[in-house]
Amino acid sequence: MERLNTLSRNLRTPVKILFYTILFLTMGSTDAFAEEIKVEKGKSIQAAIDRSNSGDIIGIGPGIYKENLVIDKQISLIGEEGAIVDGGAKGSVITITASNTLIEGLTIQNSGTQQEDSGIYVKKAHDNGIKKNKLKNVHNGIYIANSNNNQLIENSITSYESHFSKRGNGIHLFKGDGHLLRGNEISDVQDGIYFDFTRSVQVAENHILHSRYGMHFMFSEQISAEKNKVEKNITGLMVMDSSGIEFIGNRVSDHFHFRGFGILIYETKDVLVEGNEILRNSTGLSLENGANTLTSKNIIAANQVGLEFRGENQQNIFSENNFIGNVVQSKISGGNMRLDNGEKGNYWDDYGSFDLSGDGIGEEAYKAGSLYDRLLQTQPYWQFYFESPSIKLWTKAESLFPSFGTANVYDAMPLVEPAVKLQETKQESKRPLLPGAAGALFILFSLLVIVKGRKLL
Amino acid sequence: MIKKLGILMVSLAVISGCQNNTMEPEEINPEIDVCEVCNMGIAHEHFAAEVVTKDGDIHKFDDIGCMEEFLQLETSLKEEGAAKKYVRDMETGEWLELEEAYHAYHPEFWTPMANGVVSFKDKKSAEKYVDEQEMGEILDYQALLKHEWSWER
Repeated sequence: MERLNTLSRNLRTPVKILFYTILFLTMGSTDAFAEEIKVEKGKSIQAAIDRSNSGDIIGIGPGIYKENLVIDKQISLIGEEGAIVDGGAKGSVITITASNTLIEGLTIQNSGTQQEDSGIYVKKAHDNGIKKNKLKNVHNGIYIANSNNNQLIENSITSYESHFSKRGNGIHLFKGDGHLLRGNEISDVQDGIYFDFTRSVQVAENHILHSRYGMHFMFSEQISAEKNKVEKNITGLMVMDSSGIEFIGNRVSDHFHFRGFGILIYETKDVLVEGNEILRNSTGLSLENGANTLTSKNIIAANQVGLEFRGENQQNIFSENNFIGNVVQSKISGGNMRLDNGEKGNYWDDYGSFDLSGDGIGEEAYKAGSLYDRLLQTQPYWQFYFESPSIKLWTKAESLFPSFGTANVYDAMPLVEPAVKLQETKQESKRPLLPGAAGALFILFSLLVIVKGRKLL
Repeated sequence: MIKKLGILMVSLAVISGCQNNTMEPEEINPEIDVCEVCNMGIAHEHFAAEVVTKDGDIHKFDDIGCMEEFLQLETSLKEEGAAKKYVRDMETGEWLELEEAYHAYHPEFWTPMANGVVSFKDKKSAEKYVDEQEMGEILDYQALLKHEWSWER
């Protein structure tokens, strides 16, 4: 106790000194340099920017400001509720060429329609904050080229009414690295977030919907996407020619376009897909020419096709995933592959064998894919014969005589219990009574037929 | 009468058959069409490319680079007259046979698959593009044959 007291007494003086130095420094800097400028309706924001000095804060009152802004010094633009900057359908609405700026609380609308026209265009500028803005009717939402360490927090972005091929991307990152994208709400654009030759980006808790691709990775590296919600696009996550991509705890759902995928990984290496929910897509997870991927603890459920392999995939590990209620669990036209990590496999709800030893692992291997999958690759129209007696017979014959030349893709350690619990417990049934009542009626009717029918005979 | 109808039918069949043989390119539907090589939806229609074979098969690509990658694998299409290759003028979207098109190339030019090759209907528009961008070079068909694509490096 005494020792503690002396310790705190000894600490007190340095802490005090530190406190006063910090106070002195902060007071000094705000008083000496920063100025708060207020822009009211009818005035020009650009004029205020031109007048301002580095470090100033420009507050913007409610009203529509029809101008295209260029921010070329270190200032903060803070919009009050109802402050709208309108680009008049030409060029980018706001262009940032300075570092350490802040844009917050503005509504930004009506950019031009050229390829790089955006709500906010950041050009060779670093450490900027773009927070809580509302971008609408813009070609690209936020376009960041050759810049580093920018933070995009809680913005909402929509493009204009048009086909997605005529729209730009929600957030386009071209070259540069170190950005943070958190809590943005992006809808009705071409690609939600487009990673174009970028590196080291963190993407968390964003919500992307009604677009072409939720996230589109091209030639990008070291990107980690966590807890994002991606839904109702054509394809959720499109990964191409990239490396070092992590998907952790995302929800990718409802991509029912006939060429839609939950996650498509093409010619990409070093990928981690862990703890995601991949629900209700045309194809849940597709891997084409992927290398060194680890897919574990995901829930892949209610897709038309759960898992698809095409081409040559190397060093890919699958373990502890749940495959539940997919119309087709897997569709495989690639080469041989093991679907377990040597210790644990995956849970397949159509697995037919038993766990006799009680270690949670089924005694027989789970065989994925069939000869039919290969035929479909060359003859897509044969989909017509899906689940037909002849195909069933064929598949059965093939499982008895495995010499027919299909790829050998199997899970030697299939789990007999789901590895992860499904979190989506609430089912969207608005009228739970109706199907129940219909079922009851149907049963009654069948009973009636059985009883009456017997008497008639 | 039936005979005449028969002749009409046959001639119709022949005519429609002939039309297939002209090997014309097909319009891109960005809602449906995806690149056969890289799976990407063809959203940037003016960068699209097509291979139309003698049998009437149409292969669609989102980028001229993907078409070249496809052709390198499909050796059967290398024969004279086995297939026609089409690219589009980037500005107008007009379909051009690959042999007649001019291209502007610079690794920094944006194309869907970052191959940096942009096609034009004549040398003049290609030169104009290079002037506007202040970088790049012009490739004609012969130069394109010698071009080293990104995946070849």
